[in-house]
Amino acid sequence: MSLFRHIRKLNALQNVRQLSSAGLKSSTLQYATDPQPQFTDAETQQLLQSMTQLQLDKVFRKRTVPDNSVHTQFMTTAQLEKEFLQTIEKAQQLLQMPPVVKIKEDTERIISKDPALKDFATTKYVFTDITFGLPQSERKVVVRDVDGTLSYATLDITKRMNQLYFPLDGRKFYTPRMFSDEQLFQRCLDEHKYEFILDRLTVQYEPYEAEFHNISAKVFEHLNESKQFDQLRSTRHFGPMAFFYAWHRCIDDLLYDMIRRDYLLNAVQLIALSYKIHKVPLDYQATLRQLEELQPSPAVKALAELRSGLRQHQAKGIENEIQTAIGKTETDFQADEISLRFIEQYIGSEHALKKVQLELAVQTLKELNLEKQQLYEGLKKAHGVQQQAS
Amino acid sequence: MSLSPASGIGRFYKHSAKIIRFVRLGCTNRPFYHIVVMERRKNQHQPVIEQVGSYDPMPNENNERLVALNTERIRFWLGKGAHMSEPAAELLGISGLLPVHPRTYMTAWRNRKAAAEAAALAEAEGSQKAAETA
Repeated sequence: MSLFRHIRKLNALQNVRQLSSAGLKSSTLQYATDPQPQFTDAETQQLLQSMTQLQLDKVFRKRTVPDNSVHTQFMTTAQLEKEFLQTIEKAQQLLQMPPVVKIKEDTERIISKDPALKDFATTKYVFTDITFGLPQSERKVVVRDVDGTLSYATLDITKRMNQLYFPLDGRKFYTPRMFSDEQLFQRCLDEHKYEFILDRLTVQYEPYEAEFHNISAKVFEHLNESKQFDQLRSTRHFGPMAFFYAWHRCIDDLLYDMIRRDYLLNAVQLIALSYKIHKVPLDYQATLRQLEELQPSPAVKALAELRSGLRQHQAKGIENEIQTAIGKTETDFQADEISLRFIEQYIGSEHALKKVQLELAVQTLKELNLEKQQLYEGLKKAHGVQQQAS
Repeated sequence: MSLSPASGIGRFYKHSAKIIRFVRLGCTNRPFYHIVVMERRKNQHQPVIEQVGSYDPMPNENNERLVALNTERIRFWLGKGAHMSEPAAELLGISGLLPVHPRTYMTAWRNRKAAAEAAALAEAEGSQKAAETA
Protein backbone atom coordinates (compact mmCIF):
# COMPACT_ATOMS: atom_id res chain seq x y z
CA MET A 1 0.00 0.00 0.00
CA SER A 2 2.80 2.40 0.86
CA LEU A 3 4.27 1.83 -2.60
CA PHE A 4 0.98 2.83 -4.21
CA ARG A 5 0.83 5.89 -2.05
CA HIS A 6 4.35 6.80 -3.11
CA ILE A 7 3.51 6.44 -6.82
CA ARG A 8 0.39 8.53 -6.31
CA LYS A 9 2.45 11.21 -4.67
CA LEU A 10 4.93 11.23 -7.54
CA ASN A 11 2.11 11.59 -10.03
CA ALA A 12 0.54 14.39 -8.07
CA LEU A 13 3.93 16.09 -8.14
CA GLN A 14 4.01 15.60 -11.87
CA ASN A 15 0.62 17.27 -12.24
CA VAL A 16 1.89 20.28 -10.36
CA ARG A 17 4.94 20.44 -12.60
CA GLN A 18 2.82 19.99 -15.69
CA LEU A 19 0.75 22.96 -14.70
CA SER A 20 3.87 25.05 -14.27
CA SER A 21 5.62 24.04 -17.50
CA ALA A 22 2.65 22.70 -19.51
CA GLY A 23 4.47 19.49 -20.48
CA LEU A 24 7.09 19.38 -23.20
CA LYS A 25 7.58 22.36 -25.44
CA SER A 26 6.51 21.78 -29.01
CA SER A 27 9.16 20.96 -31.58
CA THR A 28 10.16 23.26 -34.43
CA LEU A 29 9.65 20.84 -37.33
CA GLN A 30 6.13 19.63 -38.02
CA TYR A 31 4.38 18.05 -40.98
CA ALA A 32 2.52 20.91 -42.64
CA THR A 33 0.41 18.69 -44.89
CA ASP A 34 -0.83 15.12 -44.52
CA PRO A 35 2.25 12.84 -44.91
CA GLN A 36 0.24 9.63 -44.97
CA PRO A 37 -0.29 9.22 -48.77
CA GLN A 38 3.44 9.73 -49.37
CA PHE A 39 4.42 7.39 -46.55
CA THR A 40 2.11 4.46 -47.35
CA ASP A 41 2.97 4.60 -51.03
CA ALA A 42 4.38 1.21 -52.12
CA GLU A 43 7.55 2.67 -53.59
CA THR A 44 8.31 4.75 -50.49
CA GLN A 45 7.73 1.74 -48.27
CA GLN A 46 10.09 -0.34 -50.34
CA LEU A 47 12.77 2.38 -50.21
CA LEU A 48 12.38 2.77 -46.45
CA GLN A 49 12.51 -0.96 -45.80
CA SER A 50 15.62 -1.30 -47.89
CA MET A 51 17.23 1.64 -46.07
CA THR A 52 16.40 0.11 -42.70
CA GLN A 53 18.40 -3.02 -43.63
CA LEU A 54 17.94 -6.36 -41.93
CA GLN A 55 20.76 -7.22 -39.56
CA LEU A 56 19.60 -10.37 -37.83
CA ASP A 57 22.03 -9.88 -34.95
CA LYS A 58 20.43 -6.57 -34.19
CA VAL A 59 16.81 -7.60 -34.70
CA PHE A 60 17.13 -10.62 -32.43
CA ARG A 61 19.53 -9.08 -29.94
CA LYS A 62 19.10 -9.60 -26.22
CA ARG A 63 16.57 -7.22 -24.81
CA THR A 64 15.71 -6.11 -21.34
CA VAL A 65 12.77 -8.50 -21.04
CA PRO A 66 12.22 -11.21 -18.43
CA ASP A 67 12.59 -14.07 -20.91
CA ASN A 68 15.68 -14.10 -23.16
CA SER A 69 15.94 -17.88 -23.21
CA VAL A 70 17.49 -19.78 -26.13
CA HIS A 71 15.96 -22.96 -27.47
CA THR A 72 18.36 -25.58 -28.89
CA GLN A 73 17.23 -28.38 -31.17
CA PHE A 74 18.63 -30.90 -33.69
CA MET A 75 17.25 -30.45 -37.20
CA THR A 76 17.62 -31.84 -40.69
CA THR A 77 18.74 -29.54 -43.49
CA ALA A 78 15.19 -29.24 -44.83
CA GLN A 79 13.85 -28.31 -41.42
CA LEU A 80 16.64 -25.80 -41.01
CA GLU A 81 15.82 -24.21 -44.35
CA LYS A 82 12.19 -23.84 -43.28
CA GLU A 83 13.31 -22.33 -39.98
CA PHE A 84 15.50 -19.81 -41.85
CA LEU A 85 12.56 -18.62 -43.92
CA GLN A 86 10.41 -18.28 -40.81
CA THR A 87 13.18 -16.34 -39.09
CA ILE A 88 13.37 -13.84 -41.93
CA GLU A 89 9.61 -13.45 -41.90
CA LYS A 90 9.60 -12.86 -38.16
CA ALA A 91 12.41 -10.33 -38.46
CA GLN A 92 10.45 -8.44 -41.12
CA GLN A 93 7.45 -8.42 -38.81
CA LEU A 94 9.57 -7.01 -36.00
CA LEU A 95 10.74 -4.25 -38.34
CA GLN A 96 7.21 -3.06 -39.20
CA MET A 97 7.34 0.73 -39.15
CA PRO A 98 4.93 2.78 -37.05
CA PRO A 99 2.93 4.80 -39.58
CA VAL A 100 3.41 8.51 -40.18
CA VAL A 101 -0.05 10.08 -40.36
CA LYS A 102 -1.39 13.54 -39.76
CA ILE A 103 -2.58 14.70 -36.36
CA LYS A 104 -6.24 13.90 -35.75
CA GLU A 105 -8.25 16.98 -34.89
CA ASP A 106 -10.73 16.84 -32.04
CA THR A 107 -14.18 17.73 -33.36
CA GLU A 108 -17.19 18.29 -31.14
CA ARG A 109 -20.02 15.97 -32.13
CA ILE A 110 -23.24 16.63 -30.26
CA ILE A 111 -25.93 13.94 -30.30
CA SER A 112 -28.71 15.80 -28.52
CA LYS A 113 -29.30 18.92 -26.47
CA ASP A 114 -31.91 18.76 -23.73
CA PRO A 115 -32.24 21.99 -21.70
CA ALA A 116 -34.92 20.36 -19.50
CA LEU A 117 -32.19 18.08 -18.14
CA LYS A 118 -30.07 20.96 -16.83
CA ASP A 119 -28.66 20.27 -13.34
CA PHE A 120 -29.90 16.68 -13.26
CA ALA A 121 -26.65 15.75 -11.51
CA THR A 122 -23.64 17.51 -10.08
CA THR A 123 -21.08 15.86 -12.37
CA LYS A 124 -21.02 14.62 -15.91
CA TYR A 125 -21.49 10.96 -16.83
CA VAL A 126 -19.18 9.08 -19.20
CA PHE A 127 -20.71 6.01 -20.87
CA THR A 128 -18.49 3.44 -22.54
CA ASP A 129 -19.79 0.70 -24.78
CA ILE A 130 -18.12 -2.52 -23.65
CA THR A 131 -19.67 -4.76 -26.30
CA PHE A 132 -17.47 -7.83 -26.77
CA GLY A 133 -15.04 -7.96 -29.69
CA LEU A 134 -15.07 -4.36 -30.92
CA PRO A 135 -11.75 -2.80 -31.98
CA GLN A 136 -10.67 0.22 -29.95
CA SER A 137 -11.28 2.60 -32.84
CA GLU A 138 -14.94 1.61 -33.11
CA ARG A 139 -15.78 1.67 -29.43
CA LYS A 140 -18.33 4.40 -28.69
CA VAL A 141 -17.83 6.65 -25.71
CA VAL A 142 -20.47 9.29 -25.00
CA VAL A 143 -20.68 12.00 -22.37
CA ARG A 144 -23.79 13.45 -20.76
CA ASP A 145 -22.86 16.89 -19.51
CA VAL A 146 -24.42 18.60 -16.49
CA ASP A 147 -26.41 20.92 -18.79
CA GLY A 148 -28.07 17.90 -20.44
CA THR A 149 -26.01 17.79 -23.64
CA LEU A 150 -25.26 14.32 -24.93
CA SER A 151 -22.16 14.22 -27.14
CA TYR A 152 -19.37 11.90 -28.26
CA ALA A 153 -16.39 12.04 -25.95
CA THR A 154 -13.20 13.88 -26.88
CA LEU A 155 -10.24 11.83 -28.10
CA ASP A 156 -8.59 12.28 -24.74
CA ILE A 157 -11.50 10.80 -22.79
CA THR A 158 -12.02 8.03 -25.34
CA LYS A 159 -8.40 6.96 -24.99
CA ARG A 160 -8.64 7.05 -21.20
CA MET A 161 -11.79 4.92 -21.16
CA ASN A 162 -10.34 2.44 -23.63
CA GLN A 163 -7.27 2.08 -21.45
CA LEU A 164 -9.45 1.69 -18.36
CA TYR A 165 -11.79 -1.01 -19.62
CA PHE A 166 -9.49 -2.69 -22.17
CA PRO A 167 -5.92 -1.99 -21.02
CA LEU A 168 -3.09 -2.33 -23.54
CA ASP A 169 0.07 -4.03 -22.39
CA GLY A 170 2.72 -1.50 -21.39
CA ARG A 171 0.57 1.59 -21.86
CA LYS A 172 0.22 3.65 -18.72
CA PHE A 173 -2.98 5.26 -17.51
CA TYR A 174 -1.04 8.42 -16.64
CA THR A 175 1.58 10.13 -18.80
CA PRO A 176 4.99 8.58 -18.06
CA ARG A 177 7.14 11.12 -16.30
CA MET A 178 9.83 11.01 -18.94
CA PHE A 179 7.29 12.42 -21.43
CA SER A 180 5.88 15.09 -19.15
CA ASP A 181 9.02 16.38 -17.47
CA GLU A 182 11.28 18.42 -19.73
CA GLN A 183 14.39 17.66 -17.68
CA LEU A 184 13.87 13.90 -17.61
CA PHE A 185 13.21 13.84 -21.34
CA GLN A 186 16.33 15.87 -22.00
CA ARG A 187 18.33 13.43 -19.89
CA CYS A 188 17.09 10.51 -21.98
CA LEU A 189 18.15 12.35 -25.12
CA ASP A 190 21.55 13.31 -23.73
CA GLU A 191 22.20 9.69 -22.86
CA HIS A 192 21.31 8.78 -26.48
CA LYS A 193 18.53 6.38 -25.49
CA TYR A 194 16.71 7.03 -28.73
CA GLU A 195 15.33 3.56 -29.31
CA PHE A 196 14.05 3.34 -25.75
CA ILE A 197 12.22 6.67 -26.10
CA LEU A 198 10.73 5.78 -29.47
CA ASP A 199 9.64 2.32 -28.35
CA ARG A 200 7.92 3.71 -25.31
CA LEU A 201 6.40 6.48 -27.38
CA THR A 202 4.88 3.95 -29.78
CA VAL A 203 3.38 2.04 -26.88
CA GLN A 204 2.06 5.06 -25.02
CA TYR A 205 0.64 7.15 -27.87
CA GLU A 206 -1.24 6.54 -31.08
CA PRO A 207 0.46 7.75 -34.29
CA TYR A 208 -2.26 10.36 -34.87
CA GLU A 209 -1.74 12.10 -31.55
CA ALA A 210 -0.03 15.46 -31.30
CA GLU A 211 2.32 14.19 -28.57
CA PHE A 212 3.52 11.39 -30.83
CA HIS A 213 4.48 13.86 -33.54
CA ASN A 214 6.01 16.31 -31.11
CA ILE A 215 8.19 13.84 -29.23
CA SER A 216 9.31 11.86 -32.27
CA ALA A 217 10.25 15.10 -34.05
CA LYS A 218 12.31 16.14 -31.04
CA VAL A 219 14.11 12.79 -30.97
CA PHE A 220 14.87 12.94 -34.70
CA GLU A 221 16.15 16.49 -34.41
CA HIS A 222 18.42 15.55 -31.54
CA LEU A 223 19.59 12.52 -33.49
CA ASN A 224 20.42 14.72 -36.46
CA GLU A 225 22.71 16.74 -34.24
CA SER A 226 24.36 13.86 -32.39
CA LYS A 227 24.60 11.86 -35.66
CA GLN A 228 24.25 8.45 -34.03
CA PHE A 229 22.04 7.11 -36.80
CA ASP A 230 23.55 3.65 -36.47
CA GLN A 231 21.64 3.15 -33.22
CA LEU A 232 18.36 3.08 -35.11
CA ARG A 233 19.58 1.14 -38.14
CA SER A 234 17.74 -2.18 -38.41
CA THR A 235 15.06 -1.12 -35.95
CA ARG A 236 11.48 -0.20 -36.75
CA HIS A 237 12.14 3.51 -36.25
CA PHE A 238 14.73 3.99 -39.01
CA GLY A 239 12.11 4.30 -41.76
CA PRO A 240 10.07 7.07 -40.11
CA MET A 241 13.34 8.84 -39.25
CA ALA A 242 14.59 8.80 -42.85
CA PHE A 243 11.15 9.91 -44.01
CA PHE A 244 11.21 12.78 -41.50
CA TYR A 245 14.58 14.02 -42.77
CA ALA A 246 13.58 13.66 -46.40
CA TRP A 247 10.34 15.56 -45.78
CA HIS A 248 12.07 18.42 -43.95
CA ARG A 249 14.98 18.63 -46.42
CA CYS A 250 17.74 17.78 -43.96
CA ILE A 251 19.06 14.48 -45.27
CA ASP A 252 22.69 15.59 -45.56
CA ASP A 253 23.91 14.34 -42.19
CA LEU A 254 22.26 10.96 -42.65
CA LEU A 255 23.65 10.82 -46.19
CA TYR A 256 27.15 11.56 -44.93
CA ASP A 257 26.82 8.80 -42.36
CA MET A 258 25.67 6.33 -45.02
CA ILE A 259 28.54 7.18 -47.35
CA ARG A 260 31.07 6.95 -44.53
CA ARG A 261 29.79 3.48 -43.61
CA ASP A 262 29.82 2.43 -47.28
CA TYR A 263 26.05 1.94 -47.58
CA LEU A 264 25.97 3.54 -51.01
CA LEU A 265 22.76 1.84 -52.12
CA ASN A 266 20.98 3.29 -49.09
CA ALA A 267 22.42 6.72 -49.84
CA VAL A 268 21.02 6.55 -53.37
CA GLN A 269 17.65 5.44 -51.99
CA LEU A 270 17.61 8.31 -49.51
CA ILE A 271 18.26 10.84 -52.26
CA ALA A 272 15.62 9.17 -54.44
CA LEU A 273 13.13 9.39 -51.56
CA SER A 274 13.74 13.08 -51.10
CA TYR A 275 13.39 13.64 -54.87
CA LYS A 276 10.13 11.69 -54.79
CA ILE A 277 8.66 13.59 -51.86
CA HIS A 278 9.56 17.01 -53.23
CA LYS A 279 8.69 16.04 -56.82
CA VAL A 280 12.09 16.94 -58.25
CA PRO A 281 11.99 16.31 -62.01
CA LEU A 282 14.91 13.88 -62.11
CA ASP A 283 14.86 10.29 -63.27
CA TYR A 284 16.00 8.29 -60.26
CA GLN A 285 14.03 5.17 -61.09
CA ALA A 286 16.41 3.98 -63.80
CA THR A 287 19.37 4.16 -61.40
CA LEU A 288 17.42 2.36 -58.69
CA ARG A 289 16.42 -0.39 -61.09
CA GLN A 290 20.02 -0.88 -62.19
CA LEU A 291 21.19 -1.07 -58.60
CA GLU A 292 18.45 -3.49 -57.59
CA GLU A 293 19.54 -5.86 -60.32
CA LEU A 294 23.12 -5.74 -59.11
CA GLN A 295 22.50 -5.92 -55.36
CA PRO A 296 20.12 -8.22 -53.46
CA SER A 297 17.37 -6.92 -51.17
CA PRO A 298 18.02 -6.93 -47.39
CA ALA A 299 15.86 -10.03 -46.84
CA VAL A 300 17.75 -12.00 -49.48
CA LYS A 301 21.05 -10.83 -48.04
CA ALA A 302 20.05 -11.93 -44.55
CA LEU A 303 18.90 -15.31 -45.84
CA ALA A 304 22.21 -15.80 -47.64
CA GLU A 305 24.01 -14.93 -44.43
CA LEU A 306 22.02 -17.58 -42.56
CA ARG A 307 22.68 -20.18 -45.25
CA SER A 308 26.39 -19.40 -45.35
CA GLY A 309 26.66 -21.01 -41.92
CA LEU A 310 25.46 -24.28 -43.43
CA ARG A 311 27.86 -24.77 -46.29
CA GLN A 312 31.10 -24.56 -44.37
CA HIS A 313 32.00 -28.17 -45.08
CA GLN A 314 31.82 -27.62 -48.83
CA ALA A 315 34.99 -26.69 -50.65
CA LYS A 316 35.07 -23.01 -51.56
CA GLY A 317 36.46 -21.72 -54.79
CA ILE A 318 39.49 -19.47 -54.63
CA GLU A 319 37.41 -16.64 -56.09
CA ASN A 320 35.01 -16.87 -53.19
CA GLU A 321 37.85 -16.69 -50.75
CA ILE A 322 39.24 -13.56 -52.36
CA GLN A 323 35.80 -11.96 -52.26
CA THR A 324 35.31 -12.69 -48.58
CA ALA A 325 38.80 -11.38 -47.80
CA ILE A 326 38.12 -8.07 -49.54
CA GLY A 327 34.43 -7.90 -48.70
CA LYS A 328 33.26 -6.92 -52.18
CA THR A 329 32.47 -8.69 -55.41
CA GLU A 330 32.76 -7.49 -58.95
CA THR A 331 29.07 -6.58 -59.12
CA ASP A 332 29.52 -4.56 -55.93
CA PHE A 333 32.20 -2.48 -57.61
CA GLN A 334 29.89 -1.90 -60.57
CA ALA A 335 27.02 -0.91 -58.28
CA ASP A 336 29.30 1.44 -56.36
CA GLU A 337 30.27 3.18 -59.55
CA ILE A 338 26.64 3.79 -60.54
CA SER A 339 25.70 4.95 -57.03
CA LEU A 340 28.67 7.29 -56.77
CA ARG A 341 27.73 8.90 -60.07
CA PHE A 342 24.19 9.48 -58.76
CA ILE A 343 25.39 10.81 -55.41
CA GLU A 344 27.85 13.20 -57.06
CA GLN A 345 25.04 14.50 -59.23
CA TYR A 346 23.06 15.20 -56.05
CA ILE A 347 26.00 16.94 -54.38
CA GLY A 348 26.43 19.10 -57.47
CA SER A 349 22.76 20.13 -57.45
CA GLU A 350 21.22 22.92 -55.40
CA HIS A 351 19.48 20.39 -53.06
CA ALA A 352 22.65 19.50 -51.14
CA LEU A 353 23.45 21.75 -48.18
CA LYS A 354 26.72 20.35 -46.80
CA LYS A 355 28.54 20.00 -50.09
CA VAL A 356 32.15 20.15 -48.89
CA GLN A 357 31.68 17.48 -46.26
CA LEU A 358 29.86 15.16 -48.63
CA GLU A 359 32.43 15.66 -51.38
CA LEU A 360 35.23 14.76 -49.01
CA ALA A 361 33.42 11.62 -47.89
CA VAL A 362 32.82 10.57 -51.49
CA GLN A 363 36.47 11.23 -52.35
CA THR A 364 37.71 9.11 -49.45
CA LEU A 365 35.38 6.30 -50.37
CA LYS A 366 36.48 6.43 -53.99
CA GLU A 367 40.15 6.09 -53.01
CA LEU A 368 39.36 3.19 -50.71
CA ASN A 369 37.33 1.48 -53.40
CA LEU A 370 40.11 1.96 -55.94
CA GLU A 371 42.61 0.35 -53.59
CA LYS A 372 40.29 -2.56 -52.95
CA GLN A 373 39.64 -3.04 -56.63
CA GLN A 374 43.35 -3.04 -57.42
CA LEU A 375 43.97 -5.57 -54.69
CA TYR A 376 41.07 -7.68 -55.93
CA GLU A 377 42.35 -7.75 -59.46
CA GLY A 378 45.93 -8.36 -58.35
CA LEU A 379 44.88 -11.31 -56.21
CA LYS A 380 42.78 -12.74 -59.01
CA LYS A 381 45.68 -12.48 -61.41
CA ALA A 382 48.06 -14.05 -58.90
CA HIS A 383 45.76 -17.03 -58.41
CA GLY A 384 45.09 -17.35 -62.11
CA VAL A 385 41.33 -16.93 -61.75
CA GLN A 386 40.95 -14.80 -64.84
CA GLN A 387 42.17 -17.54 -67.14
CA GLN A 388 39.64 -19.93 -65.65
CA ALA A 389 36.80 -17.55 -66.10
CA SER A 390 37.56 -16.66 -69.71
CA MET B 1 -20.28 -12.03 0.08
CA SER B 2 -18.70 -13.48 -3.04
CA LEU B 3 -18.59 -11.74 -6.42
CA SER B 4 -21.02 -12.94 -9.04
CA PRO B 5 -19.08 -13.86 -12.18
CA ALA B 6 -19.67 -11.71 -15.29
CA SER B 7 -20.63 -14.68 -17.47
CA GLY B 8 -23.22 -15.58 -14.85
CA ILE B 9 -24.01 -18.87 -13.19
CA GLY B 10 -27.57 -17.99 -12.22
CA ARG B 11 -30.11 -20.63 -13.15
CA PHE B 12 -33.37 -19.38 -14.54
CA TYR B 13 -36.66 -20.55 -15.96
CA LYS B 14 -37.32 -19.86 -19.61
CA HIS B 15 -40.47 -17.85 -19.04
CA SER B 16 -39.67 -16.31 -15.65
CA ALA B 17 -39.53 -12.50 -15.32
CA LYS B 18 -35.99 -11.16 -15.88
CA ILE B 19 -34.82 -7.76 -14.76
CA ILE B 20 -31.90 -5.46 -15.56
CA ARG B 21 -30.84 -4.02 -12.23
CA PHE B 22 -27.95 -2.89 -10.07
CA VAL B 23 -26.05 -5.10 -7.65
CA ARG B 24 -24.39 -3.12 -4.90
CA LEU B 25 -20.75 -4.12 -4.50
CA GLY B 26 -17.93 -2.09 -3.07
CA CYS B 27 -17.98 -1.62 0.70
CA THR B 28 -19.27 0.61 3.45
CA ASN B 29 -19.35 4.25 2.33
CA ARG B 30 -17.94 3.29 -1.06
CA PRO B 31 -20.71 2.05 -3.34
CA PHE B 32 -19.97 0.41 -6.67
CA TYR B 33 -22.60 -1.23 -8.82
CA HIS B 34 -22.68 -4.01 -11.35
CA ILE B 35 -25.47 -3.79 -13.88
CA VAL B 36 -26.78 -7.31 -14.26
CA VAL B 37 -29.58 -9.40 -15.71
CA MET B 38 -31.23 -11.75 -13.22
CA GLU B 39 -34.55 -13.30 -12.31
CA ARG B 40 -36.83 -10.65 -10.87
CA ARG B 41 -37.84 -12.62 -7.83
CA LYS B 42 -34.26 -13.16 -6.65
CA ASN B 43 -32.19 -11.28 -4.09
CA GLN B 44 -29.48 -9.01 -5.58
CA HIS B 45 -26.63 -11.06 -4.14
CA GLN B 46 -27.78 -14.33 -5.61
CA PRO B 47 -26.09 -15.64 -8.77
CA VAL B 48 -26.89 -13.55 -11.86
CA ILE B 49 -27.66 -14.61 -15.42
CA GLU B 50 -25.25 -12.14 -16.95
CA GLN B 51 -23.37 -8.97 -16.09
CA VAL B 52 -23.95 -6.27 -18.68
CA GLY B 53 -22.13 -3.28 -17.23
CA SER B 54 -20.84 -1.40 -14.24
CA TYR B 55 -21.53 1.96 -12.62
CA ASP B 56 -19.28 3.93 -10.32
CA PRO B 57 -21.44 6.57 -8.60
CA MET B 58 -18.50 8.38 -7.00
CA PRO B 59 -16.90 11.05 -9.24
CA ASN B 60 -13.30 10.35 -10.19
CA GLU B 61 -10.38 12.81 -10.17
CA ASN B 62 -11.62 14.39 -13.41
CA ASN B 63 -15.09 14.82 -11.88
CA GLU B 64 -16.77 12.21 -14.06
CA ARG B 65 -18.99 9.29 -13.13
CA LEU B 66 -18.02 6.26 -15.15
CA VAL B 67 -20.55 3.87 -16.61
CA ALA B 68 -19.81 0.85 -18.78
CA LEU B 69 -22.64 -0.69 -20.75
CA ASN B 70 -22.61 -3.79 -22.90
CA THR B 71 -25.17 -2.31 -25.26
CA GLU B 72 -25.39 -5.38 -27.46
CA ARG B 73 -26.45 -7.64 -24.58
CA ILE B 74 -28.70 -5.00 -23.02
CA ARG B 75 -30.59 -4.66 -26.28
CA PHE B 76 -30.81 -8.44 -26.51
CA TRP B 77 -32.34 -8.78 -23.06
CA LEU B 78 -34.72 -5.84 -23.58
CA GLY B 79 -35.82 -7.55 -26.78
CA LYS B 80 -36.45 -10.69 -24.76
CA GLY B 81 -38.82 -8.67 -22.59
CA ALA B 82 -36.59 -8.09 -19.57
CA HIS B 83 -37.84 -5.49 -17.07
CA MET B 84 -35.73 -2.64 -15.74
CA SER B 85 -35.35 -1.39 -12.19
CA GLU B 86 -35.92 2.34 -11.89
CA PRO B 87 -32.27 3.38 -11.26
CA ALA B 88 -31.14 1.21 -14.16
CA ALA B 89 -33.81 2.71 -16.45
CA GLU B 90 -32.74 6.21 -15.42
CA LEU B 91 -29.10 5.44 -16.20
CA LEU B 92 -29.95 3.96 -19.60
CA GLY B 93 -32.06 7.04 -20.30
CA ILE B 94 -29.19 9.36 -19.48
CA SER B 95 -26.86 7.33 -21.69
CA GLY B 96 -29.06 7.95 -24.72
CA LEU B 97 -29.76 4.27 -25.29
CA LEU B 98 -33.41 4.70 -24.23
CA PRO B 99 -35.64 7.79 -23.95
CA VAL B 100 -34.84 9.89 -20.87
CA HIS B 101 -36.72 8.63 -17.81
CA PRO B 102 -39.40 11.03 -16.40
CA ARG B 103 -37.81 10.79 -12.96
CA THR B 104 -34.59 12.31 -14.34
CA TYR B 105 -36.56 15.33 -15.54
CA MET B 106 -38.15 15.55 -12.10
CA THR B 107 -34.79 15.49 -10.36
CA ALA B 108 -33.41 18.10 -12.73
CA TRP B 109 -36.39 20.40 -12.18
CA ARG B 110 -36.20 20.00 -8.37
CA ASN B 111 -32.46 20.66 -8.38
CA ARG B 112 -32.90 23.81 -10.45
CA LYS B 113 -35.72 24.99 -8.16
CA ALA B 114 -33.65 24.37 -5.04
CA ALA B 115 -30.68 26.21 -6.56
CA ALA B 116 -32.87 29.19 -7.52
CA GLU B 117 -34.34 29.33 -4.01
CA ALA B 118 -30.90 29.16 -2.44
CA ALA B 119 -29.68 31.95 -4.72
CA ALA B 120 -32.67 34.13 -3.88
CA LEU B 121 -32.13 33.53 -0.17
CA ALA B 122 -28.44 34.42 -0.43
CA GLU B 123 -29.31 37.61 -2.31
CA ALA B 124 -31.91 38.60 0.27
CA GLU B 125 -29.41 38.04 3.09
CA GLY B 126 -26.80 40.05 1.21
CA SER B 127 -29.13 43.02 0.77
CA GLN B 128 -30.18 42.81 4.44
CA LYS B 129 -26.55 42.97 5.56
CA ALA B 130 -25.91 45.90 3.24
CA ALA B 131 -28.91 47.71 4.77
CA GLU B 132 -27.62 47.04 8.32
CA THR B 133 -24.13 48.42 7.61
CA ALA B 134 -25.52 51.53 5.87
